[in-house]
Amino acid sequence: MNGIHLSRLPLSAKVFCTLFLLGIGCGTLAAFVQASTAVGVSPSAVRASLAPDLPMAGMRHGETSAEREMDLGELSNAAKVWMRTPLLIQTSHTHLFGQTLIAGLLGLIFLFVPLREAPKAAIVALPFVGTLVDIGGMWATRFVSPSLSVLVIAGGTLFALGYVLIAAFSMHDLWLRKETA
Amino acid sequence: MTRRFAILLCAMAAPALAHVTPPVVLLSDREAVSTLLGGSKRYFVREVRLTPAERQSIEKETGWAPDEDFHRFYLGRDEQQHEVGAVTFLTDYTIHGPVRVAVALSPDGKVKGAAVIEASEETYPWVKKLIDQGFLSRFAGLDAHAPMPPRAGSGTSMPAFYGDVISGLVRRAALLYETAVLKRAHS
Repeated sequence: MNGIHLSRLPLSAKVFCTLFLLGIGCGTLAAFVQASTAVGVSPSAVRASLAPDLPMAGMRHGETSAEREMDLGELSNAAKVWMRTPLLIQTSHTHLFGQTLIAGLLGLIFLFVPLREAPKAAIVALPFVGTLVDIGGMWATRFVSPSLSVLVIAGGTLFALGYVLIAAFSMHDLWLRKETA
Repeated sequence: MTRRFAILLCAMAAPALAHVTPPVVLLSDREAVSTLLGGSKRYFVREVRLTPAERQSIEKETGWAPDEDFHRFYLGRDEQQHEVGAVTFLTDYTIHGPVRVAVALSPDGKVKGAAVIEASEETYPWVKKLIDQGFLSRFAGLDAHAPMPPRAGSGTSMPAFYGDVISGLVRRAALLYETAVLKRAHS
């Protein structure tokens, strides 16, 4: 961009960009492990965690109570997170700020990679779009349809794909590109 | 060069997929119900919807506005169908993350036991301190209107704050059971 390329940066700037990209990579990996242990990374696991709690006892509209015998096996034996609306609000605000800042800093580095404008614009948009689809998908799963839990997985995947492409192109430009005069 | 680049890409492709909040889950729902309703042979689920008057009376006493939808109790009974107790799950969404507890109540409405089911990474050290001090066992035998156990820790400490949060949840559970189960049975 404007004649500045990552490959032409001084060593200190290259080290800064590299360590930032590595740090975000480690953070993303830790977040993936956290998500897979606390909630699960399949649409059904996300649905179980986010979808509205449906009545178990068959209480009909207008009734004030209902009861039925159950098997303990009907209760989840997995120590899984159960996200209700207040937690969704907390999660949304922290993640929208955090992930957008990460996407912004990744994008800032990536802007100095010499690449054609169309693919560059598409790649730089991926982490932002992924964040919006991820968090938007959580709300859609809770309030529109449990089947939209697939959006949460899609959003997380887009974010990760954006990170991978940005980091790969940037690292290549930082350390492997041969400068031509 | 291309090979090196491909290896780099593969290494970085690992952190794919979703991202959710960092909670600490201490017990599954099934573990909580089976532990707190020990001695039960049969289990039942009862769901109750509070009337506006019932909601108002709970809010007046605790400041907590119960859900308009429904509240769930898991009931345990012995072989002779005598009630062993009921368990309900309640959550408070504090600024540092949610705290979810399971509260067991005996048929007379007194607290049988309580367990923390979920905290967050941030709140866990404070909540763990309470668990280690046996704070949760201090609720046994109290009813919805009894004074809650003395605060845990010094006045402004975080464990003391979370002790108050847990006390509030236990009181809500006891009041919910009293209102939606005991009072209805007697009316």
